[in-house]
Amino acid sequence: MIGWLDVPRNWLDSFGEIARFGARVAGLVLTGRAFRFFGEGLRQAGILIFGSAVIIWAFVLILGLQCGIQGAYFNRSIGAPSLAGLFSAYCDLREGVPYAFGYILAAKVGTGIVAELGAMRISDEIDALEVMGIQPVTFLAATRLLGAWIAIPFLYLVSIGVAYFASYFAVIQQVGDVSSGGYLLIFWMYQNPLDLFFSLTKGMVMSTVIVLVGCYYGYTASGGPVGVGTATAQSMVVNIILVHIIGMLGTFVFWGANPRAPIGG
Amino acid sequence: MTILTVRTIVSAVKPPYPYGDELVWQFLFVLKLSWFPLTVSTFALNLGAPGLQAAGVLSLFGALDRLGGLFIVTAVRWIGPLVTAVVVAGVAGTAITADLGARKIREELDALQVLGVDPVKNLVVPRFLALIVVTGLLDIFAIVFGLSAGIAAELLYHQSLGGFFATLFTNATTLDVLSSALMCTAFGGIIAIVCSYKGMSASGGAAGVGRAVNQAVVIALVSVFFFQFVVTSILFATNPELQSIR
Repeated sequence: MIGWLDVPRNWLDSFGEIARFGARVAGLVLTGRAFRFFGEGLRQAGILIFGSAVIIWAFVLILGLQCGIQGAYFNRSIGAPSLAGLFSAYCDLREGVPYAFGYILAAKVGTGIVAELGAMRISDEIDALEVMGIQPVTFLAATRLLGAWIAIPFLYLVSIGVAYFASYFAVIQQVGDVSSGGYLLIFWMYQNPLDLFFSLTKGMVMSTVIVLVGCYYGYTASGGPVGVGTATAQSMVVNIILVHIIGMLGTFVFWGANPRAPIGG
Repeated sequence: MTILTVRTIVSAVKPPYPYGDELVWQFLFVLKLSWFPLTVSTFALNLGAPGLQAAGVLSLFGALDRLGGLFIVTAVRWIGPLVTAVVVAGVAGTAITADLGARKIREELDALQVLGVDPVKNLVVPRFLALIVVTGLLDIFAIVFGLSAGIAAELLYHQSLGGFFATLFTNATTLDVLSSALMCTAFGGIIAIVCSYKGMSASGGAAGVGRAVNQAVVIALVSVFFFQFVVTSILFATNPELQSIR
């Protein structure tokens, strides 16, 4: 039986170790040592695209639909249905897509990495790699991070497009308070390329953290088949908290002092 | 999964009820696992998304007291249930799948069946009922912490809180809070069924349990999001009084 304070205590405990492991893996990629296994990195990017892209986009599509209807009804309630574009521009680009992307990436990719690496650790394959003279951290963790850095910017940009389409569909076709042209005028007025870049930065930081947390829990799994399951569950706990904290800090840094809206001076 | 849902509901209401102790245990287990991620997540999400973004725009209009009305839309109707579902699926759902999956791999479930103990009645039903109740209750905490994030956003913009509370309470309706809590109980049911099913059908040794957890959390999240979209659409379309701001 666990105590009331076990979750925050475990979280603080493992946080430092995850940071150290993450710094080591990121260092291996940034200093170029992971490029010795560039083929493996490309293979991981391919797995990411073919295995996860469709589910990520489906999830973001549902979030875009929700942004659309919530925005349309909220703006109807204040008597300005034509401003639905303002709500969905903010909701899609600045907040909704980063969070939805983080959730589904943690669920699909993060836990997937833990399950995969954990199974390798349990069946002693990681020790076997070490005996063969291949650095397991470089070969397993750093290549996954490299693959994620190759594939995820494109997955993220397409996700934003998917969410835009979904919001448009919900506002124009489902609720139908505003004409297509009126919606798009407001929608494009309330965003600019720099916002897109900020949003992409938020998404990239989240996905880097998710991949590193997944690698850490998979790499240090122990205790038989049960241990792999527990490690997978724990990685999800840590990922959920980190995704929200990164999202909030990103909003503070990028839009906290300056809302970047074309209103007034 | 549909068969499991029907069997769970039927064996939950049909006497005898041997799952009392397990129900209490699971209830406390889920609560102890979820309270910390839930408070951090709802506070962070509500402070960032509706708090700072909307307050930024509203302050350009000089209408920061309107933030209360917006928080009814976001914190109560939308983000509260959503984050509760994400946290429960990610924290409690994964724990359930890992637990049941481990029992399946070690053939404990088969042993139970040989002993004449029904695994659905003794393992799935208490988890199902516990998650339904806990998710509904956690939604209240999500709303409370979401609104306190709204207060924090107002204070960051150096506003007095009177306007926030005034627009908050004139716009809050019983239907809002009730639909939010009911939606969350339904989420709890979905998560419990998906995660129990994936755990009980895990196979393939060490990799199998991890893969079951992976699939369970993905399916649970997607179905919860889709369910919320459908419910919100129906709720708004059938209740026009929600569409006017007071």
